[in-house]
Amino acid sequence: MRALFLLLIAGYASGAAAALALGSGALSRWASALGAIVGASAGLALAAGVCIRGAAFSLDAPGFFGPVGGMAFTLDPLGAVFLALTSLVAAPSALYGAGYARLWEGRPALRQVGFMLNVFLLTMSLVPLAGGTLTFLLVWEGMSLSSYFLVMTESDEPEVVSAGQWYLAMTQIGLACLLGSFLLLQSGGPGGFSALRAAALTLPPGTRDAVFALALIGFGSKAGLIPLHVWLPRAHPAAPSHVSALMSGAMIKMGIYGLLRVSLDLLGGGPAWWGGLVLALGAVSALLGVLYALMEHDLKSLLAYHSVENIGLITMGVGAGLLFGSLQMPAAATLALVAALYHTINHAVFKGLLFLGAGAVLHATGMRDMNRLGGLIRGMPWTAALFLVGSAAISGLPPLNGFVSEWLLFQSLLPGIGAPSPLVAVLMVLSLGMLALTAGLCAACFVKAFGITFLAIPRSPEAAAAHEASWSMRAGMVVLAVACLALSIGAFEIVPRLSSFVAPLVGVAGPAPAFSVVLALQTPGGFARMSPSLVAAGLALVVLTAWLAVKAFASRRPVRVGETWGCGRVVQTPRMEYTATAFAEPLRRIFAAVYRPSEDVSVDFHPDSRYFVQSISYHSAIVPWFERYLYAPVISRIRSWSERVLALQSGSAHAYLTYLVLALVLLLGWLVVTGQP
Amino acid sequence: MSPWLLGPVQAALALLLAPGLVGAIRWMKARLQNRSGAPPWQPYLELRKLFAKEVVVSNNASWLFRAAPFIVFGSTVAVTLLVPLLAVPLPFEGAGDLLVVVYLLLLGTFFLALAGLDPGSPFGGMGASREMTVAALAEPTMALAIFALAWSAGSTNLGHIAARMLATPTEGLAPGHVLAFAAIFVVTLAETGRLPVDNPATHLELTMIHEAMVLEYSGRYLALIEWAAALKLLVFFTLLGNLFAPWGIAAALTPGALLWAVLTLALKLLALGGVVALVETHIAKLRLFRVPELLSASFILALLAVTASFLLR
Amino acid sequence: MSPELVSQLSVGGSTLVLLAGLAMLWRRGVRAHIGAFTAQSVALAATTAMVGWFTGDWQLWAVAALLLLIKGVGIPILLERMARRFGTERELEPYVNTATSLLVGGLLVLLAYLVTARLVSVSQLPTRTGMPLAMGLVFVSLFVIISRKKALTQVLGFLMLENAVALLAVLGTHGIPIIVEIGVFLDVALGFIVMQVFVYQIHETFESIDVEQLNRLRE
Repeated sequence: MRALFLLLIAGYASGAAAALALGSGALSRWASALGAIVGASAGLALAAGVCIRGAAFSLDAPGFFGPVGGMAFTLDPLGAVFLALTSLVAAPSALYGAGYARLWEGRPALRQVGFMLNVFLLTMSLVPLAGGTLTFLLVWEGMSLSSYFLVMTESDEPEVVSAGQWYLAMTQIGLACLLGSFLLLQSGGPGGFSALRAAALTLPPGTRDAVFALALIGFGSKAGLIPLHVWLPRAHPAAPSHVSALMSGAMIKMGIYGLLRVSLDLLGGGPAWWGGLVLALGAVSALLGVLYALMEHDLKSLLAYHSVENIGLITMGVGAGLLFGSLQMPAAATLALVAALYHTINHAVFKGLLFLGAGAVLHATGMRDMNRLGGLIRGMPWTAALFLVGSAAISGLPPLNGFVSEWLLFQSLLPGIGAPSPLVAVLMVLSLGMLALTAGLCAACFVKAFGITFLAIPRSPEAAAAHEASWSMRAGMVVLAVACLALSIGAFEIVPRLSSFVAPLVGVAGPAPAFSVVLALQTPGGFARMSPSLVAAGLALVVLTAWLAVKAFASRRPVRVGETWGCGRVVQTPRMEYTATAFAEPLRRIFAAVYRPSEDVSVDFHPDSRYFVQSISYHSAIVPWFERYLYAPVISRIRSWSERVLALQSGSAHAYLTYLVLALVLLLGWLVVTGQP
Repeated sequence: MSPWLLGPVQAALALLLAPGLVGAIRWMKARLQNRSGAPPWQPYLELRKLFAKEVVVSNNASWLFRAAPFIVFGSTVAVTLLVPLLAVPLPFEGAGDLLVVVYLLLLGTFFLALAGLDPGSPFGGMGASREMTVAALAEPTMALAIFALAWSAGSTNLGHIAARMLATPTEGLAPGHVLAFAAIFVVTLAETGRLPVDNPATHLELTMIHEAMVLEYSGRYLALIEWAAALKLLVFFTLLGNLFAPWGIAAALTPGALLWAVLTLALKLLALGGVVALVETHIAKLRLFRVPELLSASFILALLAVTASFLLR
Repeated sequence: MSPELVSQLSVGGSTLVLLAGLAMLWRRGVRAHIGAFTAQSVALAATTAMVGWFTGDWQLWAVAALLLLIKGVGIPILLERMARRFGTERELEPYVNTATSLLVGGLLVLLAYLVTARLVSVSQLPTRTGMPLAMGLVFVSLFVIISRKKALTQVLGFLMLENAVALLAVLGTHGIPIIVEIGVFLDVALGFIVMQVFVYQIHETFESIDVEQLNRLRE
């Protein structure tokens, strides 16, 4: 196992070194991708080893950063899940990236991306492996910084620079909160995670609450919970596509990992309001995420908002788990946490697939705007089919993996209605309603995303000229699509294993009760059973039978190809098709109270008469209201303060010298006043 | 009879009865509106005609257009294998519960909407957009109604719910159940494209939802889609009839019990069909932007069903 | 009559009363509103009669009869008369639109459930199960009053509030002494007459019963 750990580091390090050393050509692309794949495979093997054996892996490296305490690495089953999902998304993305990076052939950006990608993957893989606060914070910051550089790859575009600024600001705010949280946690006594776990029992409840709150803000901003999600829809579209896949698939999950680690493992659960708050935040994030996703017509922004939505769903599971844990309902808590973890894995896989598909579209046409795409299913059949698999998975359609985890999430909220406290029951009912609405709206959004982008007639010449993605890009996507199906059919094996990892965290000894094997998922209390493999088999069988029957008994006349029916019009142009904005319009009107769209109509009249109109222009914009009412005032206030402080920067050398002397005098004075021992 | 044979028998029975159900509703509507109307077996003749006709496909359509009817039909037939049509316990009890049923129907809707967008016609786009809007807004009601039922029965498994209702008949009149029935009835009207949400009668009224999506289909593809729509209606009626009033369902797989089950099922379908015919004759179609009001009202009914269920625990 | 059956019937009756109240949020026409109020009063009378049968208290029967007469027949006749004079106006633009009002109504019912939870757990009467719904109707009728613009609708909201309080009294304490009940009825009747006069006056002054027009009185 130690060998695997070293291979993990070696793989990524060699990939990074190769990227720097081998220039900006095909060799560098492939070498860095290969290094990443080796590292990812080692990570996957390490995680699998820990999961199967059930025993943790530890390694102490006091030599590194010795004066500050040294680094410590531990991988327990919970961390192994996150390491596994990181590696699962990393390998196909790296393979995809080898082909995608041809975009920067001959430019320094190629070396930069190759290097930073490997550093990013290395630090991200080390986050679940961190065994002490110093290690954790170091690799966490490394992950944030390397992803920042990756986001800034195309830094000649102003919106990319702005995205990078938002991203950097949010990660640093998150880091500050995490620092505060860990400092408070260590007030019971320093040491690695195991020492902190023991010491946390002695902390006063006020400190525990503060630790939890700061951790929630810090990890929540990384995960993308509302209202700390504002960096997501900016940073993810700006980054290169395989990086977006990794950020959306793996990096935001590290926020969930951190939250689970601090609240459930280190603090050992807490009062009911922790779980209730997390559940409420999750439900709101899910619903608002999908509502804003519906209104996007940029393919990657749409996917980014869907990440917010799915993080909301995962957080609902985590919150429900925390809540049930505090209410002494361990079986229900286990189920909720299992649902959350499983959805984390599933989301990593299908969101990675979707981002890679969007990247293929961007690579082929140069555009992300759905209103200018269309008809890509003819030029890019593979990408279209794989994107369809991803869309069906994220919409929660059987028999793919998204459906299984949504089913689990539904079932986990049901016991809550029977909780002793009526407030919990009401919260559960509301969460159920919001979960169902989110699922329905998600399906609607992906009909739009897939239908407008890939189907019908191309809406621009670039879309008409689209070519299929290269084989390495396709291979990466195929691996993820197969994983979607495998995760669904293999649910009967994965879910009991996840419950055995979660059970010790909730306080139930050993493997959780009432999970049976053999093609069925049985929830505690015999509440419900479902078999994704049987559903998949049944569907396939029925569709095949129907097809054969129709072939045998229906008319043998050949299919005739004709014009789309047009109600008497002469010719069909792309302008006559439905657009993405038009598709989402009914929902926009229904939820207008949430969106508050601004509408601007200007009419150009003919100079001779007011009864003839030359042109009408319609402009409508939606500004998310947290940006308008929460962030904009804060930013403007910071700006006005900065301008006031700017007065200090007078440019005069005398002024600066005076500042130095003043600081020295004040410091000496303070020492005198407080007394020297 | 072996329990595993029950599944295909159920599916075959559903396939056989579905067009007759649609025909019966049309006939009842006609009689209520003082017309003679077509005979109740007209949809069978229509299906036979459509299977024999030539298929015309748009030149803009892709493989998805030709595959979608099979996926829609297949998913709806798969649902008939999971609902308590004839007997309890169900053969595929461990395969799926009420949530699986709802999501399988969503699978069909998803692909039908995509098939509406494929030919590039604005009517298809409009139908697809409206269909997904209505489907999304009906989801919360369905989820809460399911949980009102599951809460009192102790499981979301369909056979279990039906068996529980058979065991304690007085629970059938509990306020929670009545409200859940009303909520699911409104969802049925919305999901199967009946008035006041959508008009299934005329094919050229372009403000429609379901008919606008399938405008481009012809021949055997159209036959499959129409049959699937009839099956969906039958499935919803079966859920309404056999979950809330399961008396007549066979508990043992003997020929006598099964025959009785078929008879009572037919009676329940006709009764619900009569109610739908009355509603359709009495009410005019709602504008699209009044449909969310109707669905909100059904959501409130489902919410009250859940609260009533746990007020009486 | 077993206590379980009484619980079921209490919830059933309260649900019907609450649904009639929510119908006020859903429908827009004055006729529909008056119909909802009539249905609500009838349901309330039936529930009171049921509780009266269970407890064997003749006073509750008398209250039920009074409810039926005054609120089920008398007041609706007067309302119909008012509606005929200025009932052509429909609630086309309430402050909160219909779908949102219904959702808010649902949330208010959940809130009522939270508020009465402790009360329900303390009470021993089998009719306590309907109390959260009655409380919900109190909130919903208050919401109707503040979110609708037409004066007639607000009068109906006030009358519904009356119904809700009466239902709460019946379910919570098996009714109040008949003297108090008659006093309440007289108050309601007087209040209704005063409101009638007001509505007539508003109509005379502004040619419409839109309460927003009262803003103009400031000028």
